[in-house]
Amino acid sequence: MASTLDAAPGDPSLATDAHVVYIQTLDTKKDDYNYWLTEHLRLNGVYWGLTALHLLGRPDALPRADTIDFVLSCQHENGGFGAAPGHDAHMLSTVSAVQLLVMLDAVDELETRGQGVAKVGGFIANLQNRETGTFAGDEWGEEDTRFLYGAFNALSLLGLLDLVDVEKAVQHVASCANFDGGYGTGPGAESHSGQIFTCVAALAIAGRLDLVDVDKLGQWLSERQVPCGGLNGRPEKQEDVCYSWWVLSSLDIIGRSHWIDREKLIGFILRCQDVERGGISDRPGNMVDVWHTLFGVTGLSLLGYPGLEPVDPVYCLPRKTTQRVLGGA
Amino acid sequence: MESLTESTWDVVIHGTGLQQSLLVLALSRSGKKILHVDPNEYYGGPDAALTLQDAESWLEAHSGSSTGPSLFRSAAHSKAGEQKEEGRKGLSSGRAYSLSLSPQIIHARSTLLSHLVSSRAYRQLEFLAVGSFFIYRPGSESESAPRAASLTRIPATREAVFSNTEIAPRSKRSLMKFLKFVLDHDSEANLPLWTPRADDPLDEFLLSDFKLDSDLRAYVVTLTLSQTGDISVRDGLAVLHRHLTSTGFFGPGFAALYPKWGGGSEVAQVACRAGAVGGAVYMLGTDIRSVARDDATGELEIELTTDVTVKSRTLVRGDEAGEKPTEAVARLVAVVDPPLRSLFEVVVEGSPAPAVAVVAFPAGSLEGGKYPVYVVAHSSDTGECPSGQSILYLSTTPSPTSKSHLETALAALLPSISVSGEPEPKPLYTLYYEQAQGAPELRSDGGTLTLPSPRISLSFDDGTLDIVREAWGLLWDKLGGGEERGEFMVFEDREGADDDEM
Amino acid sequence: MTSHGIARSTHVRTEEQRQADLVRIGKYHDLEGQLRERVRNGTLDTQTLDLTSRLLRANPEYYTVWNVRRRCLTSSTLSASRRGSSRSSAPSNSTDTPTATSSSGASSSAPAATRGSPESPRTGPSGITVDGAAGPATSHGAGGESEAAGEKSREEREAARDEEEAAWRSDADVIAAELSFTIPLLMEAPKCYWIWNHRTWALQQATERLPQAAARATWERELGLAGKMLSKDRRNFHAWGYRRWVVSRLEGPALGGGSMAEAEFAYTTGMIHGDLSNFSAWHTRSQLIPRLLAERGASDAARKKFLEDELALLSNAVNVGPEDQSLWYYHQFLLLNLVSRDEKESMVPRLETAERTAYIQAEIEGIKDLLEDYQDIKWIYEALMECALSLAKVEDREVNDEEKGEMREWLGKLRELDPMREGRWVDVARRYGLE
Repeated sequence: MASTLDAAPGDPSLATDAHVVYIQTLDTKKDDYNYWLTEHLRLNGVYWGLTALHLLGRPDALPRADTIDFVLSCQHENGGFGAAPGHDAHMLSTVSAVQLLVMLDAVDELETRGQGVAKVGGFIANLQNRETGTFAGDEWGEEDTRFLYGAFNALSLLGLLDLVDVEKAVQHVASCANFDGGYGTGPGAESHSGQIFTCVAALAIAGRLDLVDVDKLGQWLSERQVPCGGLNGRPEKQEDVCYSWWVLSSLDIIGRSHWIDREKLIGFILRCQDVERGGISDRPGNMVDVWHTLFGVTGLSLLGYPGLEPVDPVYCLPRKTTQRVLGGA
Repeated sequence: MESLTESTWDVVIHGTGLQQSLLVLALSRSGKKILHVDPNEYYGGPDAALTLQDAESWLEAHSGSSTGPSLFRSAAHSKAGEQKEEGRKGLSSGRAYSLSLSPQIIHARSTLLSHLVSSRAYRQLEFLAVGSFFIYRPGSESESAPRAASLTRIPATREAVFSNTEIAPRSKRSLMKFLKFVLDHDSEANLPLWTPRADDPLDEFLLSDFKLDSDLRAYVVTLTLSQTGDISVRDGLAVLHRHLTSTGFFGPGFAALYPKWGGGSEVAQVACRAGAVGGAVYMLGTDIRSVARDDATGELEIELTTDVTVKSRTLVRGDEAGEKPTEAVARLVAVVDPPLRSLFEVVVEGSPAPAVAVVAFPAGSLEGGKYPVYVVAHSSDTGECPSGQSILYLSTTPSPTSKSHLETALAALLPSISVSGEPEPKPLYTLYYEQAQGAPELRSDGGTLTLPSPRISLSFDDGTLDIVREAWGLLWDKLGGGEERGEFMVFEDREGADDDEM
Repeated sequence: MTSHGIARSTHVRTEEQRQADLVRIGKYHDLEGQLRERVRNGTLDTQTLDLTSRLLRANPEYYTVWNVRRRCLTSSTLSASRRGSSRSSAPSNSTDTPTATSSSGASSSAPAATRGSPESPRTGPSGITVDGAAGPATSHGAGGESEAAGEKSREEREAARDEEEAAWRSDADVIAAELSFTIPLLMEAPKCYWIWNHRTWALQQATERLPQAAARATWERELGLAGKMLSKDRRNFHAWGYRRWVVSRLEGPALGGGSMAEAEFAYTTGMIHGDLSNFSAWHTRSQLIPRLLAERGASDAARKKFLEDELALLSNAVNVGPEDQSLWYYHQFLLLNLVSRDEKESMVPRLETAERTAYIQAEIEGIKDLLEDYQDIKWIYEALMECALSLAKVEDREVNDEEKGEMREWLGKLRELDPMREGRWVDVARRYGLE
C-alpha cells in the first residue's frame, strides 16, 4: 500500500533528518524566553518529541537515561507527575510520564527510583468522579473527556485499569454522544474532533466500540477534510495539522480512514514542514512546534507514509511499544 | 512671536482640515520644524464640526454664491419658534452642538483605520458603530392596498437576507448570488462577467445579469451611497465589496464606524495634537496673507495675518476654492427632537448600540427630485447634540430645487420614524449649504503643495489617504529626508502607554 | 510549545534581542524563585498572592501558579466560614479545598471584618447593588444558626451576625477581585483552559460563601461575560462550554434557580440570526429543544407546530446558505426527529407514520427546488439521500427501485462534486445496492 502513497509531484518529501535535529535541539533553547513560558508543558513536550523520533525510526536520538531521570524528577509523593520539577501533579503530565516510561521500557524504574507503579495508578484512580464516572485533571476538579481518556490510556498501559469503575466511565462517554455521531467535552457539549478521539479511543481501550454510531461518526469525521487536503476540528473551521491525528486516528479506530482523500492529506502535512530547519506547523508557512510535529508525523504514519514506524491509533505510541506491553496483533 | 521668525521652518501648513492634519500626524515623529496655521478659531477647516455660534459666523461667510471662490455657498439656516411645546426641550445652548460640515462614516476596512492604529492616534479616539442602512419606501394610497411610508433595513449579509420577511424565497437566492459575486468579483472566474460592462450603470447590470427585481436593485444601488444614483458597474462593485467585507470586521452587526465628537473633525484634532506633541507649533485665527519665493535660497517668505513674516522651506495648503469642480453636494443639517430611537436599534446579537444610521431615498421615491437623497442620522451618543435630540445630515446632488427637495425628504422621513409614546419628531434648527469638490489631484509647485479639496462622499474615501501619503513622500524628498523617513504612519507608543511588565 | 496561526519567520534573533530575552528570563526566574521559596515555607499570604499575579500576567498557562494562588486565597484572604458550614457544628475543612486550614483562616478574619464595613453602600461591577441581597441572606444566616443560639444574649447574637455579614462581604470583594483579575488575561488568551478554570473556582467560592442572592448575582454577571466572549469569537469552545456550565449552576438549587431553557433557546436564535454558520448555536439548540418542550408540557399539537417552525427556519436558512454544512447538520437533526419515536430523540414522538412521511416528502420537494438555483452544492444531494433513507426507515422498509434510481443519480452527482470522499461513496453504493 505504501508504494502508492508517495508525495504528489510538487510537494516536498518528509524531511526526516531535519525533524530529528529539530527535536533534538528543543532543549537547547534555554536562552529563549519562550522556552521558560512553556515549561508547564515540558514533560508533555518530551513525550511529543520522543514519540515522533520513534516513529521517524530514530528512537535513540534523545539520551535514554537522561530522559528517564527527567521523568522521575517530575514525580510527586502522591504518585502523580508535574510538567517539570516544581510544577504540581496533573493528569496530563502523569499520562505523558507513563507513556514515556512505557516507550523507554523503563516502568520498572518507578519501583526502584520512583514512588512505585501502584502509587501512580492510585493518583490517577483518585481523580475519577465516582458518581458520574468521568475524571478530573487534578485536585481542583476540572472534568473533561480528555482526562478520562488519559486515565484509561495510562492505567491500561500499567495494567491497572481495574482500579477504576470502567463501566461508569464508559456510560459517561456514551452520554457525551451527539446527534451528529460525535462527542464533546462532556454531556451536552458540541462535537469536536479532539474530544471525539478521546472518547472513541477510551471506548476502544474499554472494548466498547459497539457504542459508537460508526456510519454517522465516520460521515462527520470525513467531512472534516477541506479542499486543501487538511482536516479541521469542527464544521466551518480552519484546517490544522493536529487534526491529521485526532480525525484520522478516530476514523482508523472505527475502520473508516478510507473515507477521506489520503493522498491529499499527505500533501497537506508535507507542505506544513519546515524542510530546512525541521518541525511541522499547523498550516503551511506558520511557526513549527513539537506538538504539530508529532501529529503531522503520526498522521503520516497512519497514512502509511514510507519509512515511518506504524503508530497505534488508540494510544498514540509506536505500535511496537503497545504490542510489547499489551500483546496482541 | 520672535521665535517664529528666528529660523527657517521646514514646513508651514495652512488649514487644519482632515488631510492637512493627517499629514501633520504622518510627520509628527520626523523631527521636522512645522508651523501649522488656520484662519479659523476652530480646528477642521472644511471638515470642522461647528457649534451653533461658529455656524453663525460660518454662515455669514458662505451665504452668497458670489462671495469669492469657496468650497461652500448658498448657506442659509432656520430655527424653530422660540416658544417651547410641551414634552420638548427645545434648542439648547449653541455650545451643546457640533454640526459636522462634511460628516463621513468610515468603513471598517478603510485604510484610515489601519493608519490610525499603526500611528497610535486611535488611542485618543472613541469610535461608535454605524448601524442599519435603511431604504425609504413611499406610502401608497391605492384603495386596494393602502400602505404608510416606511423604512426597510437593506439586507446586505446572508443573515440579514435570511431574517428579512419581505423578500420572496426565490428573490432571496438571486440577491445572495449577487452578494457572493461581489465578494468574489475580482476572481479570475468572475472578471470576464463584468469587465466588458465596467462603465455601464450598475442598475442595468443587476437587471440583465442577476435578474434582480426593482426593489432589490434599489437596495443594492442605494448601498453604494452614490449621490447621483447612476454609479458604474466598476465603482459599484468596488464600493459594495468594501461594504460587505467591512460588515462584522470589528464585531457583529456593523460595517462602519464614526469617531465620537464630530467625526473627521475629531480625527483632525487628534492628529494635530499628535503633531503638537511632536513639536509642531499651532496658530489658530491666523491666515496667510502672501507668499514670496526667494529665488536665491528657494525658501518661501510667508506673511501671516498677524503681521509676521516667516521663512519656510515648504508650504502645504488645501484647495479652498473648489477649482475645476468635479462634483458637488447640497446639504441640509437638521437638529431634531425627540431622539429617533427606532433608527438606532440593535439588530444583531452582541453588536454595540449604533450611534449612526443611514436612510436612503432612492431616486424617484420623492416627488420632484431626480436624484437620491441620503440621510445620515446621528444620535446624541455622537456627542454632537444634547441627549433627547438627534442630528440628521441630508444630502443630494445640487439642482435649482435641491433645497426644497431636501426639505421634502426631511418632512417625509420624520413621520415614518416617529415612536409611539413620543411627540412626532420636528426640526429645531436647520442649516442648508452646497459644497463643491475640486480636482482630486495633489498639485506641487516649487516649494508649495496644494492638497485637493475634501471628497464629498458619504463614506471616507481611501483616496484621501493616498494623497496624504503622496504629499508626505514629496515633502521628504523636498526636504532631502532620505532614508530615515520610515514607514508611513507607523509609530511606537510614546512612553507611558506600555505596561507589559512583570 | 504549541503555536497556532503564527507566521513562520526566517528572522534570526539579534544579539541585542537575545540579551533582552536573557534579562526577561532573569526577571521571570527571580519571580518564580521567590514564589517557590514562599510556598516551600508555607507562607501563603497576600505577598505571595501578589507574586502569583505578576507571574500569571506574564504566563497565564502556568497552572501550578494558579494552584498556589487559590491556596493563598483560601488560607489568607477568604474568610474561614462558609455558608454551607455555618449550620454544621464542626469548623469547615471540606475535602475539595485541600489546603484550607482553619487556623490561618481564623486569624485573617479580623482585617476582613474591617474592610467589609456594612455602612458603605456597595455597587457591583455592573451597577447591581449587592446590598439588595443582604435581606434574605441575613435572615437565612440567622435562621440557620445552631440550637445554641437560644443561650446567647441578643448582643452576642447581633455581634455574631455582624461578623458573619462582614465575612461574606469581604469574601464577595475577594471573589470580585479574582473575577476581574482574569478578564484582561482572558481577552489576551481566550482559549487558555487555566484561566477559565480559575473563574469557575471563584464562582464556586461565591456559591459556598455568599448569601444566595449575592451569589446568584455574581453568577448572572458571568453570563454577560460568556456572552461577550462569544460575540468576540462566536465559536469559542471554552466560552460555549462555560456558558452551558454557568447556566446549569444558575438553574440549580444552590443558587435558587429555575430552568433557563427558554432564555437560552432565545439566545441561540439570536446567535443564529447573527451568523448562520454558527454550528455551536445550532448544536446548543438541538440540546435545548427536548427540555424546552418537556418543561412547556407541550401537547402533541404544540410539538408539531414547534417542529414545523424549526423546519421553516431551516428551509429559510438553506435557501440563502445552501453551501453551509452547519445548516445541513441541523437538517440531519430535524430528520432524526422525524424518524425517531423515542421521546429522548424526537420532539414529535407520537406523530403518525403518514404524517412523518408527508413531512419528509415535503422536505424532499423543498430541497429539490433548491436545485433550480444551486446546482453544484454537494450538501443538497447528501440531504436528498438522507431524506430518501429516512423515508424508508419511517415506513420500515427497504428503499424501493424508484428511490434507488434517484439515489443513484444523486450519488453520481456526489461522486462528481466530492471526489475526496470517494471511498465513502463506494461504501454507500455497496450498502444500498446502488452500484
